[in-house]
Amino acid sequence: MSAGEIHSSKAEELRVVNQPLPRPDQREKIAGSTSYAADFGMPGMLHARLVRSQVPSARILRRDVSAARALPGVVAVFLGEDVPHNTVWVDVPGQTVRVAALRASMEVLATDRIRFHGEPVALVVAEEESTLARACQLVEVETEDVPGVFDPFEALAEDAPAVHESGNLLAEWNIDRGDLEEAFAKADAVVEGTYSTQFVDHAYLEPEAGVAWVGDDGVVTIRVCTQVVEHYRDVARILGLPESKVRVVAPYVGGGFGGKEDMTVEPYVALAAWRTGRPVRMQWTRDESLLARAKRHPMHFKYRTAAASDGTLLAEDIEIMADSGAYAYLSALVLLYSSVHACGPYKVPAVRMRARCAYTNNPPTSAFRGFGGMQVVFPYECQMNRLAAKLGLSPDELRKANALTRGDELPVGQPIETEVLLAQTIDAVREAAGPAPQPSRAGKLTGRAIASNFQSYGRCTWLNDSAAAWVGFQLDGSVSVRCGVPDIGGGQASSLAQITAEVLECPLESVTVYFGDSSLTPLAGTTTATRQLLMSGNAAHVAATLLRGYILHGVALELGESEESLELRDGEVVAVGRTVPITEALTMCRRLNVPIEALGTFFGPKGKPVEKELKTDRVFPDFTFGTHLCDVEVDPETGEVTIVRYVASHDVGRAINPLSVHGQISGAAVQGIGMALLEEITLDHGVNLTGGLFQYLVPTATDVPDIETVVLESGEGLGPFGARGIGEPPIGPPLAAVASAVADAIGAWVTDLPITPERVLKAIEESRA
Amino acid sequence: MFVKPFRYERAEDLAHACEILRSHGDGAKAIAGGQSLMPMLNTGLLDCEVLVDISHIDLEDVGVRDGYLELGGLVRHARLASDSRVANSQPLIATAARHVGNARVRNRGTLGGSLAHADPSAELPLVMTAIGAKVLASNGSEVREIAAEELATSFLSTQLAEDELVVAVRVPVLGEGWGWSFNEITRRLGDFAVAAVAVLLRTAEGKVLEARVAAGAVGKTPIRLGGVEAALSGASRDELAERAQRLDEVDPPSDSNASAAYRKKVLGVLVRRSLLEAFDRAGVGESGAGGADAAESGAGESGSGESTDGSGRGEGQ
Amino acid sequence: MTSGGALAGPFENEVTLSFEVNGRRVTRRGPGHLSLLRWLRDLVGVTDPKYGCGEGVCGSCAVQVDGQVVSSCIVLAAQVDGAKIETASGMCGDDGSLSGLQQAFHEHHAAQCGFCTPGMLMAAASLLEDGRHRSRDEIREALHGNLCRCTGYGPILDAIEAAQAGREATGPRAGSETKLVAG
Repeated sequence: MSAGEIHSSKAEELRVVNQPLPRPDQREKIAGSTSYAADFGMPGMLHARLVRSQVPSARILRRDVSAARALPGVVAVFLGEDVPHNTVWVDVPGQTVRVAALRASMEVLATDRIRFHGEPVALVVAEEESTLARACQLVEVETEDVPGVFDPFEALAEDAPAVHESGNLLAEWNIDRGDLEEAFAKADAVVEGTYSTQFVDHAYLEPEAGVAWVGDDGVVTIRVCTQVVEHYRDVARILGLPESKVRVVAPYVGGGFGGKEDMTVEPYVALAAWRTGRPVRMQWTRDESLLARAKRHPMHFKYRTAAASDGTLLAEDIEIMADSGAYAYLSALVLLYSSVHACGPYKVPAVRMRARCAYTNNPPTSAFRGFGGMQVVFPYECQMNRLAAKLGLSPDELRKANALTRGDELPVGQPIETEVLLAQTIDAVREAAGPAPQPSRAGKLTGRAIASNFQSYGRCTWLNDSAAAWVGFQLDGSVSVRCGVPDIGGGQASSLAQITAEVLECPLESVTVYFGDSSLTPLAGTTTATRQLLMSGNAAHVAATLLRGYILHGVALELGESEESLELRDGEVVAVGRTVPITEALTMCRRLNVPIEALGTFFGPKGKPVEKELKTDRVFPDFTFGTHLCDVEVDPETGEVTIVRYVASHDVGRAINPLSVHGQISGAAVQGIGMALLEEITLDHGVNLTGGLFQYLVPTATDVPDIETVVLESGEGLGPFGARGIGEPPIGPPLAAVASAVADAIGAWVTDLPITPERVLKAIEESRA
Repeated sequence: MFVKPFRYERAEDLAHACEILRSHGDGAKAIAGGQSLMPMLNTGLLDCEVLVDISHIDLEDVGVRDGYLELGGLVRHARLASDSRVANSQPLIATAARHVGNARVRNRGTLGGSLAHADPSAELPLVMTAIGAKVLASNGSEVREIAAEELATSFLSTQLAEDELVVAVRVPVLGEGWGWSFNEITRRLGDFAVAAVAVLLRTAEGKVLEARVAAGAVGKTPIRLGGVEAALSGASRDELAERAQRLDEVDPPSDSNASAAYRKKVLGVLVRRSLLEAFDRAGVGESGAGGADAAESGAGESGSGESTDGSGRGEGQ
Repeated sequence: MTSGGALAGPFENEVTLSFEVNGRRVTRRGPGHLSLLRWLRDLVGVTDPKYGCGEGVCGSCAVQVDGQVVSSCIVLAAQVDGAKIETASGMCGDDGSLSGLQQAFHEHHAAQCGFCTPGMLMAAASLLEDGRHRSRDEIREALHGNLCRCTGYGPILDAIEAAQAGREATGPRAGSETKLVAG
């Protein structure tokens, strides 16, 4: 196998799906005509900006907005008291089961207590954007510092300052399975390691932005870059309006990665529009985005891995501590993902896992591509590579010998129900990569390593997940799809067009997808958790299949033929001896009261809710497996690391669009490499020191090689046409692949991310000492 | 993005610019290419009442006269990087200019702006310090000459008066027998340096006769490495590595990019590599003649007795 | 249109500027403190250059000013009064057709979320403008000032190489000759 190829085990007759078709949405993006959230404006529109706290932990003594209000051009200044219900409930839309401390809350605008640097305190609204800098400066906020805590371990100490009255322990999950002590007692090899990951920012190119207005029907509409149009429910609660009176519209989003999963500008533009009666736009600056939006959870890991001399894994003893920052957001769920994925894609008979997350006065942490399931790849795969070295086994064979297969149970009790191609992904990256790297010049060191992983796709089973899509023929034979899916750049909308065109046997160009409108398109849930292909993809498939049935039914009635004798092909209904153009078929259906449109709803697989002691039948619908290979070259005098080759292979079930699949894997791998080598939000006692993209080091084209991909198609996924989700899975392996390749090169381990030149140099020096 | 409004004034000539700056005192700032100033205004790190646009003043000459290369204060980085007179007269400048930011920055940013901004990790102030350039500053009526290494007084601070602008920089044309080298460590290509070194060195008969060695990003201003320079006189190629470590007087800062200890460590590596590279260039007499491309990627150590790798591969990926 | 009345401060800061934007002469009056990016977006209504950082780092706001690519977020509009400004949307033909470079971006999946794309196109167009052949590594290096968070860059490099090859096959100024570059 070589890179760029697709290897399919069960080829189907597919015409549109599975084809590398340029996405229709990209044409407008490339022409420069796509209207992103900040590109949209309205007559009479006002501009808004938040006044944020300058300190991480304080009590608010006094707020004075009189000078700001008096400034010419300022229309309004709002404080927490001006918000009808000044609470953002952190919740999962559509969720009907409570998870630990998930339903925690924060104030829309802080009135009393400041818990992190950047917390919003006041909202300034002005006629012109140019007025806002000065006006915000005129808002006086007097605070008194309150002792804060900036480390999750310290936060759980007995005498730690309380970030919240409920205590600093936000959530904990435990797994106990098998006899741990016995397993360690009989083990031939035990590998122990501690690892840590850092605060990371999503750093999508599009900063948070949105416009809100009140329509002549009294509906508050928010056009915003978001992954979740269903936040209209939260906005309704904040404004004290019925949910039917708030609408969220998501245009094409300039990158999400989980950072636009929680609300950003929504409550503020909605409040300002509701209170002023005029359209209001808010756009966060880059430094504001880096300062105040939730980050990826930094995690600390302690792993003890036990194995027999032949490499058979016997036990994992795991401790995880995550920094939740100042507010709960989705921390409890993120930690749950870490817990379920903590042992990697392997059979482990004995497991003791303790995971906790704690409040601190650091920036809040929440969803980020990989959602807790990616941080754990770093420890579990570094452990595997260390174990292989310790036992003198091939890292490939060690993985293959322990790989989960259909029917095996995860430590939480969930059985694997689909075919696992982990071993094949290992072979794929080895074959594509070829011989090991050689130093480019004397004195340089080279290293190679692989890392495998698995990552769930689809939301937790007990959340009663569902998605709906509407598919209808227009009278000229073209097709409209309506689906509430937000499109964040991954082709979420265009994949629905491909699926629909495949089922309805019509040209891709004839399908138009209307998406991302909480009032006008059927709700499809969040574009998160690698769930949209599974959920809205299946919903569109259900709708299109229903519609296809209607059309065949109508024509069969008209012609007096059986439905089974008819088929849709190339925009025609083909019957025995004749063909009926689709427009004529539609006329027949209308005459016979047969619908030419259909609503499809897809319900996600169900499982039992989890308790603190994790033991369940099914946490997630299914998983995506893969392996990455990384070659590095290290300058041992400066510690600089160059990635010279990178290959990634995943079983994607079925590639709905191979171009998109390659794009997702390539982009995720580079984002993971960025976390491995470069990226970090720097804090000093809760004060965020990262003031811009000149300091937050996103990988550039020169920091990464081409990401070579080998796509495997088992056809075993739960999505349409056997697809698995691929948005998140490829972001985890780079952490361990890069770290292990560096270790291979220098003969020492860097176990704290990011792997800076400084840390590499230190590891080299310590290993020589 | 949320810039505090200021008034824009376009200076018609030098005297006009200095006059506006003088009359507004602290409240006025001069903008040339704006590649440092605009980001600071955009992110609220700086505000002003009046922004004086000096970019339309005629200060864009590049010329060689009487053994000196003269560069106007408004010569842009892209031109420094591409003008053959610059590369032939002082390849160090052309090379350093190519390391500045990205293509967009180089298209707008100016030599005078970079020197007046005085970022200690910036490339041009460093090479001007190494070369011993003279900075010509004018207040509209009087021009004074400032040694490049004395221009910056601290982090983002210079000895320029409120109404003084950098109108030109004068550098000696690199003579026979000189070699040069510029090396820096950045977290990513185009970022401000974690450590940077510029070297000019003259050899004869396999010994160093004269050397100027300067470092950036390891102090509040670019600094001359006096200890290294003093130790170099008479040194043979084999002695350079040891002499490169005379860095006692260097006391680098710590920040989110690197600790002081790391900076000092890699500074020694950079100095050694740069000395070897400059020494080899001096030896083959390729000092001038647009050799700025020559050893960009190399550390110049291949001739040092350290053997090249056995794979037969030249450059890395 | 921004009005002076709302501008805080003891001074009047309005300026009248005239640009040729994508072949269209546009004269507007507005605050003198605006960046070229804000002038184009807020006053001219050309929104394909994006605000991504305000520091000149990400490249999303890249445009050509008199043929040179710059970060429009850190160029003061008043400084370049009278200039000829080209943006990515100006690469399209009058009938909305994509240029050769744009077409290559489309075919090679070089855009995902699309937010960096206008800036990437400007960087690529400026690189290929002189007609000299660039290796993949040269293209890679020339793009280092443009961030993309979705593609991992490979597909963008593929697109630029393909556009270059297409242009070399048909002559340097084939295709939409009057348009920006790399037609």
